[in-house]
Amino acid sequence: MKWILFFGALIGPSICGREKFFGDQVFRINVRNGDEISKLNQLVNSDNLKLNVWKCPSTFGLPVDVLVPSVSLQPVKCFLESQGLEYSVTIEDLQIYHEMHSIASDFPDLASRVKIGHSFENRSIYVLKFSTGKGRQRPAIWLNAGLHSREWVSQATAIWTARKIVSDYGKDSAITSILEKMDIFLLPVANPDGYVYTHTHNRFWRKTRSLNPGSSCIGVDPNRNWNASFAGEGASSNPCSEVYHGLHAHSEVEVKSVVDFIQEHGNFKCFIDLHSYSQLLMYPYGYTQKKAPDATELDKVAKHAAKVLASLSGTKYQVGSTSTTVYQASGSSIDWAYNNGIKYAFTFELRDTGQYGFLLPADQIIPTAEETWLGLKTIMEHVRDHLY
Amino acid sequence: MQPRRQLLLAPGPGGPRPTAPMFALLLLLALQGAAAAPAGFAGSAGSEDSGWRQDPELQSGLLQQAARAALHFFNFRAGSPSALRVVSAVQQGRAWVNSKNERKVDLVFTTERYNPEEGEERLGKCSARVFFRNEKPRPAINITCTRFVEKSKRQQEDYLLYKHMKQLKTPLDVVSIPDSHGHIDPSLRPIWELAFLGGSYVMWEKTTQFSHYYLAQLSSLKQWKTNDNAIDFDYTVLLHEFPTQEIIPCRIHLVWYPGKPLKVKYHCHGLQTPEEASGIEEGSAVAPTELSNF
Repeated sequence: MKWILFFGALIGPSICGREKFFGDQVFRINVRNGDEISKLNQLVNSDNLKLNVWKCPSTFGLPVDVLVPSVSLQPVKCFLESQGLEYSVTIEDLQIYHEMHSIASDFPDLASRVKIGHSFENRSIYVLKFSTGKGRQRPAIWLNAGLHSREWVSQATAIWTARKIVSDYGKDSAITSILEKMDIFLLPVANPDGYVYTHTHNRFWRKTRSLNPGSSCIGVDPNRNWNASFAGEGASSNPCSEVYHGLHAHSEVEVKSVVDFIQEHGNFKCFIDLHSYSQLLMYPYGYTQKKAPDATELDKVAKHAAKVLASLSGTKYQVGSTSTTVYQASGSSIDWAYNNGIKYAFTFELRDTGQYGFLLPADQIIPTAEETWLGLKTIMEHVRDHLY
Repeated sequence: MQPRRQLLLAPGPGGPRPTAPMFALLLLLALQGAAAAPAGFAGSAGSEDSGWRQDPELQSGLLQQAARAALHFFNFRAGSPSALRVVSAVQQGRAWVNSKNERKVDLVFTTERYNPEEGEERLGKCSARVFFRNEKPRPAINITCTRFVEKSKRQQEDYLLYKHMKQLKTPLDVVSIPDSHGHIDPSLRPIWELAFLGGSYVMWEKTTQFSHYYLAQLSSLKQWKTNDNAIDFDYTVLLHEFPTQEIIPCRIHLVWYPGKPLKVKYHCHGLQTPEEASGIEEGSAVAPTELSNF
């Protein structure tokens, strides 16, 4: 049997499909008879695959859940298919959710993992709350990431940032003083259904995965679905479009969860949304070319942040309002935030400027996160010093 | 990998203001009759007639649009996969608009190598005139660029690339370049560069004043053969379109031999395809409907 696994690993790419998976996955395997159980046992017992059974293969008819580390995905998949074992991949990108959980448990006095809602396909939407204070509703900062699922450097930067916050608190004076006065809420995967889909089916999926009545096309652009000039210029009414705004504002449960949480909290002062790519740092408005009332101040803050960001590796960001810098876009997150009293509202379009685009090489993730962190801190420091 | 420099522009509602040293350089180049001065560029004063008036709303976006389009065209014309360039920074530009809302843009911008060698930071410089025909694609381009790489070195590198391609065994077991994590196997790099070269032609032809493109991925390789020594390459790329955010599959067929003009045929999928049909096109042969220089 061992040779099957070995063989599978070798020829896997040419026979069993070539997708590379990111992160560990849980396979739910259906065992129908004793023969299948014993095959499964052999698989599970092979040392080099490092599989982890979550639910024991004892009786027929009940599915077995097995945790498969990412490096073993290919040979396991190949083996199951070649042995005719039925299975499905249960869907949580465990790596990011595990990391969030471990940050919260490693730093219980600072960080906690909060569920703010669930996605269309019923995945949990988790936020990390960083707070040093007792006391309700301290002034707060919202860091949003992963709204557009294909922009992988966004989710990656967010989870790196989460680690950075807990590691640097008490050591770095900037983040320490920020957290003395304010809470930070970080949402690394705002669109979990889309994120999973980019791993399992289509690397370039952007939207949510909600069904559109009367159309075979799936999904709504979650950054056209906010209640800020909803369905105006710069969004599409065609469900097949990548910038489809949805049937009504906040129709997407992923968007509504964030809106409800922020409105209930009532004391957010800053909302930053991470996207990729283009290397831009933008402020409202996207839905109109008219200047926002605070445009001058926001422009100054953004320019300062871009300068500090560039100081690390020379990465240059362009600064400006969304509509004049990139294009007109209605129903965007930061426009909603701004119109709801959250003055310091910014969008980052992270690396790069088109050479790799969404497919930013892995070795650029940490450099991106490190420089972005400097930009974020600059903004947060300004918010700290200009609380209103 | 070094971060790419972003397009830089002096801010201001009237657009970038050329500085005195910039003008001096331009004049110097023009006087030297160097490759940097395209025909008609020095005579921009004459653009005030033939219905052209200076564009009062010049935005930085238009200049970047023009730079990208000009460079796609330049890369295609140069036909050299080892000497591809990308835009580094727009240094100055002016635009005129006519009664048909067509725009003419004169600009100077710097470039860098698409695939820089270790530690290489050299910038090239281009000046170009770009005619956008309102919403119609395929802007007319005049462009000259300073020599970036020595001609003999470029020919040598192209020939090495060519030899490398000829040695690779077909059918190659390749699906996506880069892969989902942005990785390109070094042995497959020449394939990507050749694909990008063909893609440049497509992106130039599709660019309008309002839409632009990036090459997102080489999503499939149907085949390549070497007929009469030329590389005959049949593949599909995914283009990322702004501002619609659509991912557009384009089947491209190119024929390349170092030093010879590139021949390209292509067919891109229409928009609004249901998601089941997105990505790789399988099945019946695609009849190229868009003309090229075959």
